[in-house]
Amino acid sequence: MSEITLTINGKQCKGKQGDSVLDVCVANGIELPTLCHFKGLSDVGACRMCLVEIEKERNLVPACTHPASDGQVVRTSTEKLEKYRRLILELLFTERNHLCAYCVATGDCELQKLAYKYQMDNARYEYAWPVKTVDSSHPYIVMDHNRCILCGRCIRICDEITGAHALDFGKRGWKTNVCADINQPLGESSCISCGGCFQACPTGAIFSKASAYKGKTAECTAVSSVCTICGVGCDIKGLVKDNHLVKIESPDMAKPRGLLCQMGRFESLYNPTEKVRTPLKRNSKGQLQSCTYKEAFETIAKGLGSGDTVAGLASGRASNEALKAFSDLMTKTLGSKLVDTLDGNDFRTITEGIARFDARAGLGMEASLEEILTADSIVVIGANPIKSHPVVGSYILRATAKNKSNLVVIDPLRNPFTFRATVWLRPPEGKKALAVKAIGKAIVEHGLPKSAGDKSKFSVNFKDTDIKKAAKDLDIDVHDINRAAEVLAESKNGIIIYGDGVLQYKDADIVALILNLAALINTQPKVISLKRYGNSRGAWDAGLGNPDNTVAAELNKGKVKGAYLLLADDPAESQALADSLGSVEFVVAQASYLSPVTALASVVLPSLHWTESKGTYTTIDGILKSTAPIVKVSEDILTDADTIKEIASRLKK
Amino acid sequence: MAKVKIATVWLESCAGCHMSLLDVDEFIIDLSKLVEFRRSPITDIKGFDDVVVGIIEGCIGNEEEKEVAEELRQHSQIIMALGDCACFGGVCAMRNTLDKADVLKRAYIDTPSTYKGKIPKSPGVPELLNKVYPVNQIIKVDCYIPGCPPEPEAIKYGLTELLAGRIPVVPSNIMRFD
Repeated sequence: MSEITLTINGKQCKGKQGDSVLDVCVANGIELPTLCHFKGLSDVGACRMCLVEIEKERNLVPACTHPASDGQVVRTSTEKLEKYRRLILELLFTERNHLCAYCVATGDCELQKLAYKYQMDNARYEYAWPVKTVDSSHPYIVMDHNRCILCGRCIRICDEITGAHALDFGKRGWKTNVCADINQPLGESSCISCGGCFQACPTGAIFSKASAYKGKTAECTAVSSVCTICGVGCDIKGLVKDNHLVKIESPDMAKPRGLLCQMGRFESLYNPTEKVRTPLKRNSKGQLQSCTYKEAFETIAKGLGSGDTVAGLASGRASNEALKAFSDLMTKTLGSKLVDTLDGNDFRTITEGIARFDARAGLGMEASLEEILTADSIVVIGANPIKSHPVVGSYILRATAKNKSNLVVIDPLRNPFTFRATVWLRPPEGKKALAVKAIGKAIVEHGLPKSAGDKSKFSVNFKDTDIKKAAKDLDIDVHDINRAAEVLAESKNGIIIYGDGVLQYKDADIVALILNLAALINTQPKVISLKRYGNSRGAWDAGLGNPDNTVAAELNKGKVKGAYLLLADDPAESQALADSLGSVEFVVAQASYLSPVTALASVVLPSLHWTESKGTYTTIDGILKSTAPIVKVSEDILTDADTIKEIASRLKK
Repeated sequence: MAKVKIATVWLESCAGCHMSLLDVDEFIIDLSKLVEFRRSPITDIKGFDDVVVGIIEGCIGNEEEKEVAEELRQHSQIIMALGDCACFGGVCAMRNTLDKADVLKRAYIDTPSTYKGKIPKSPGVPELLNKVYPVNQIIKVDCYIPGCPPEPEAIKYGLTELLAGRIPVVPSNIMRFD
C-alpha cells in the first residue's frame, strides 16, 4: 500500500492509501471527538462529531468516512468546528431523554464526557421529550431507548463482530429506533447474549442488568485475565470494585478472541449456588461438616492410603497446574492406572479417530479457531457452537456473512446456523456417518480441481458408498447431497467443525471419516473438534485421558474402593457421575460448588473459581493462556494444585 | 464597597442545590463579606427588590414557578441557573414523557399510601404546566452551573467569576451532570 502525506493542523502526517482521515489522525496522535466510531467496526458517519475542515472541500466532512488522500490540508479544531460540535451535542441531548442524574451510565457515558469537554451547560433548543420504551425482557440486557443516540455501534457489533445481526434500525426518520429482529422484545429475539452491544454503547441505552449501578468504570480496578469456561480462551478484563466483580469486558473486541459470549460475560456474575469455602468431612451423624485442612488431609490419607484400588477423575475445568499435580498424585504416588477425565469418551473418540486417519498425527493436527474466519467453506457436523462455544459460532456467522463462505450443516436439529446454510442436511439421529460418506462420494464423483493434487488416499474411504441408496436411507434429497458436494469440491480452503452430536456416539470411525472429508476439501485437513470443558485439551495433554476406558469398567464391577474427583469450578449438575460412584466407599471431591457428587463424598475440598486463581489453561486449539485472580479470596484457601500436592506428600509418608 | 446583592429562588427541585451552595466550606465566610443575600430560602425574605445576581434552583413546572422566575428576571441584572433541574429539566423532567392528567392522578389518587385522595383544585394551589421546562426556555438565562447537585467547587467558581465581573462557564474538569 502506498504511503500518503497529509497536513493536519499544520503538521505533516503520514497515512496509507485507503485510510480515512480519522485513521490518519489516530495514527498520528491527533485527538478527534467521536461517538459512532468504534475500533474494529466499519464507519458510518452517523454522529458528525468528527467533522473536520479540509481545504478545497465544499463542506465540513466527517473524518471517519472521508477518505484520506495525498496532499490534503486538514484542520480538526477551529472555532467553527467547535461551535458545530457543541451544537451537535445540544441536538443529541434535546432529541431524546438524556437525564444524567438518574442514568445508569453516568460517569462512564461518552456523550456526557463530550458534553463536559465542550462545556455544554445548557441546550438552546426545545426538548423533544419523546415517549420511549425500556425493554427489559432479556435475562441479562436492558435496552433503554430514552438514552439512545442512534450511533449504530450496537447494530454494527452485532452484525460485524458477533455475526448474529439480531439488532438493526427499525422505522424511519424521527421514529427511527434500534430494534431486535422484526421489532420484537430483545428477550424473544435471535440475540445470542454476547454482550457486545452494551460494551460498545456510548451511553446508557444498552446495559447489563448484573452490572448496573454496581460501580463506574473509573471506580473499578481492571484485571486482565482469560475466560476458561469453553476453551476458546477469550482475553477478558475483569472490573472489580471493593473486591466485588462488577463486570467482565473484552479488552479489545476487534481482536478475534476479544468477542466474549454469554458464558464469559455473565456466568461469573450469576453464581448458581454458594461456593465451598472450607474443607468438609462427615461427622459422627454422617453429615458434611466444615473442618480444618489438617483434619481433611488426615482423613484422606487414611481413606486413600490403605492400598485399595483408587480411581481418579478430573474435570477439564481445572487448571493445567492442578491437572499435572493430580496426574502425579494418581499415577506416581498412588500408582493407580484408573485415571480419566470426565470427558474421557470424547478423548477416546477424537484421538482414536485421528489415529485411524493418520497414525502419526495427534490432537496437534487440529486447525486453529481463527482459520474459520478465512475459510471459504465451513461444514458443521453435529454441533451447535452458539450454545457450546458461542465465539466459534460467531466466527462461523461472520465468515458466512462477510466472506460469503459456503456453510454446510449436517444436523437433524435446527440451530442458529441452519437458516444461513447453503445446504442443510438433516440425517436422522445416528446416521451422520452415512451422510458424511455420501457427501465424500459425491465430491469424488463431482471431481476435485487438479490443483488439489492426489487425493486418492482419502477418496478411497468413500468409494463403496451408493449416493442414491444413502439418500433414500437418510431421507435426504439427492440434489442436496450433490449441492453440498459441489460447493465443497470447489472450495479451496474448507474447514470442518464437529461437536457433541458426533462425539455422543463414541464412534471413532465418524471422526476418521470427517478427517478424510476435510482432507478432500483442503490441501491440509482442517478440522476442529469442540471439546466439552474449557481445559479439556490441557487435561488430555497432561495424559489424564484414559485410552482404554478402564475407569468406567472397574467402577461397574464395584472393585474400586476409593475415588478422587477433581471437579474444579464446573457449576453443572452431575447426577449421572454421582450414580456411577455408588459402590465406592471413600470419595474425595474437590469442587467450587456443592453438587450430587459432593453430597456422597466422604471429604469435600474447596476449589477456587477461575476468577479467583492464577493458572494456565490450554484452548481447544492448543494455545496456552494464563488467568490472573480477578477477585481476592482468603489466603487460607489453598489452590487446587497446592491442595493435591499436600495430599500427595502425606500419602508418601 | 457596597455588598453585591444576590437573590436566590427555589423552584421545582429538591433544595439540594441550595445545600450545595452552603457546602462551599470557608468560602461562605469570604462570600458573606462580599455579598448580601436578599430574597432567598436561606434568609426567608419574601419580597423582591433589585439585585445584581438572581440565582434559580429548579425547573419551571407550574404557574407560580413561572411567575417567580419572570419576576426575578425583572429584578436581576444577571440570572444564574443552578443545578441540573434549572439547566436541563433534571429529575423533575421525568414527567415530561407522561400526560399531565396521569401524573396528577398517580400522585394524588393512585399512590398506595393515599386514602380517598383527590386532585387539589383551588386558587391557592398553582396549576401544573403541561411540561416541566429548563429555566432558559421561559426566561433569558446568563450563566449556568449544572450538576445534581452542582459541585461546591463549581458554585464557588461561578460566584467568584461573577464577583470579578465575568460571566462564568464552568470548566470541563469540575463540570458534572450527576
